[in-house]
Amino acid sequence: MKTLNIKSPKIINAQTGKELYEEAKKLSDKKTEQIIFDLENTENIDTLGCAWLLRIAEECKKHKVSFSWIGANEKVAEMLSVVSPAFEYKEEKKLQEDIIFTKLSGEFEGILQEIKDFINLCIDAIYWTILAPLTGKKFRWGLFIEEIYEMGVRAVRIVCLMNFLLGLIIAMLSSAQVASFGLSIYVANLIMIGFARELAAIMTATVVSARTGAAIAAEISTMKVQEEIDALRGMGINVIQYLVAPKMLALLIVLPCLSVLGLIFGLLGGSAWGIFVLDFNASVWFRQTVNSAYFNDLLQGILKTFVFAVFIVLIGCHNGFRVSGGSRGVGLMTTRAVVMDVFMLIAVDIIFATIFYYLI
Amino acid sequence: MSKEVILKVESLQVQYGDRIILKNVSFEVYQGEIFLIVGGSGCGKTTLLKAICGLLKPTNGNVYIQGQNITLLDEEELQKVQQNIGIAFQSSGLINSITIGENVALPLREYGLVDPKILNEVVRIKLSLVGLAGIEDRMPEELSGGMKKRAGLARALALDPPLVFFDEPSAGLDPIIACELDELIINLRNLLGITFIIVSHELESIKKIADRVLMLDDGHAIFCGTMEEVKYTSIPKVKQFFERKPNEQKYAFAH
Repeated sequence: MKTLNIKSPKIINAQTGKELYEEAKKLSDKKTEQIIFDLENTENIDTLGCAWLLRIAEECKKHKVSFSWIGANEKVAEMLSVVSPAFEYKEEKKLQEDIIFTKLSGEFEGILQEIKDFINLCIDAIYWTILAPLTGKKFRWGLFIEEIYEMGVRAVRIVCLMNFLLGLIIAMLSSAQVASFGLSIYVANLIMIGFARELAAIMTATVVSARTGAAIAAEISTMKVQEEIDALRGMGINVIQYLVAPKMLALLIVLPCLSVLGLIFGLLGGSAWGIFVLDFNASVWFRQTVNSAYFNDLLQGILKTFVFAVFIVLIGCHNGFRVSGGSRGVGLMTTRAVVMDVFMLIAVDIIFATIFYYLI
Repeated sequence: MSKEVILKVESLQVQYGDRIILKNVSFEVYQGEIFLIVGGSGCGKTTLLKAICGLLKPTNGNVYIQGQNITLLDEEELQKVQQNIGIAFQSSGLINSITIGENVALPLREYGLVDPKILNEVVRIKLSLVGLAGIEDRMPEELSGGMKKRAGLARALALDPPLVFFDEPSAGLDPIIACELDELIINLRNLLGITFIIVSHELESIKKIADRVLMLDDGHAIFCGTMEEVKYTSIPKVKQFFERKPNEQKYAFAH
């Protein structure tokens, strides 16, 4: 057994602490079992000095060497006693056994709980949006009008622009493919069918989920973080009725309207290419377009948007209500809402496409 | 107690647009004392604190920290002075997305003044100084209000500043926790010789920790002196504040 006695300097600070650390490292070897610091000469120690001592203590712990000090004067002893919890504190390691199993089952339970919450929210929201106003219960019409303006009117420009450009691009690309067969006029059919069935609805819903879905998630999660939701509950106000229902009804009305607008502008985009670049007569192009419009296609496109609207609001609110923590949580939940929205759009779209393909 | 002046404020004036928040405020703070800025709500306490630690540019007047006039400094020089002061905020100001340990390590890392080898150790020492040993891996959201304030104080102490500003240490805390925090402040002053400048309106806490107080009223400094002098003052507003009496006229209709 070897005991190392180290005399400490007059003042232990960042500089002398480091020297002490290096000295202890140099002097100790594999046989060393104990390090004792003689603090008799030390008049003062600052927090960085303490940190160096702690560093030495940590190294000792790692190499199973015992570590202690003697002869500290009153001032130094007081300082060391104040910071002593840092020396005693040991990191608690969680038990390794069953960790995978526990983690998996925890994850599974979490998913189940989330699905349950979502279904509950869904039922509540539909009740307060559609059934409750019909039975004469209170509905916030003021907020509803505001939301119509915020979600709908203010989104008109971006929705029109996106659909117009998309129509233009599709006409451009497809006409290049069919031009050699002399089938350019059928580009009008393609644009009509494409936009009526899929593109207008999907494009508009994507824009709206990025705008409105993210806004809903951010608003509700911020309200939750700042205890506004709890305050509403405390006043006996139903949060779904107060916050969610007006948004949902507003989006149920606004999203189909925006989609129709999207469809019109998509067609205009396609026509712009057909008339100005492919040199078709405007009346020929429009007649071709109108002739290729089928009721089923239009119905499919419009029906989808109602489902999209319900899900965009529900996903936004669901993620908003699930927030935990502060500003970071708000960011995470907003991102999650938009990602879920995009995934939901595709999933719902596939279901609709399948139903209309096989059944109708 | 040494009588060396660590902070000196000369005829300070702060304006938001046309509204004057602080008018001609002057005072001195000595090394190693606990100096309280007190006054009713909305009298400009927090504004004064922000102006003297350089977060707010005053319209007029001078602020000297350790002899250096901070109102004349540019951004870079001001940052150097701010390395020598610690600020603990009312709502703790901890960054929510990182752990408590990382919060405390933040100024240490940014300024690179500490040997990276002992960064973790310094964080643990600072946290044990404020009585929070062993919580460095927790997130701010997991802490109670009192713990958050302590953690905010630990971050303010990270660079071993001789001067620490603390905004409303006991606001929103229960009396026991508030009292513990008061004792912590006194202990830290005794142990490390830190000068504290504290904004508060909690009477109990003021009486317990203050060496000297500055009282603000509607942007004016109406009183500056020791707690002993408070007892014998004849200024009605100061008496009213420390005796905790309501404004007579305002509530006359209640009688």
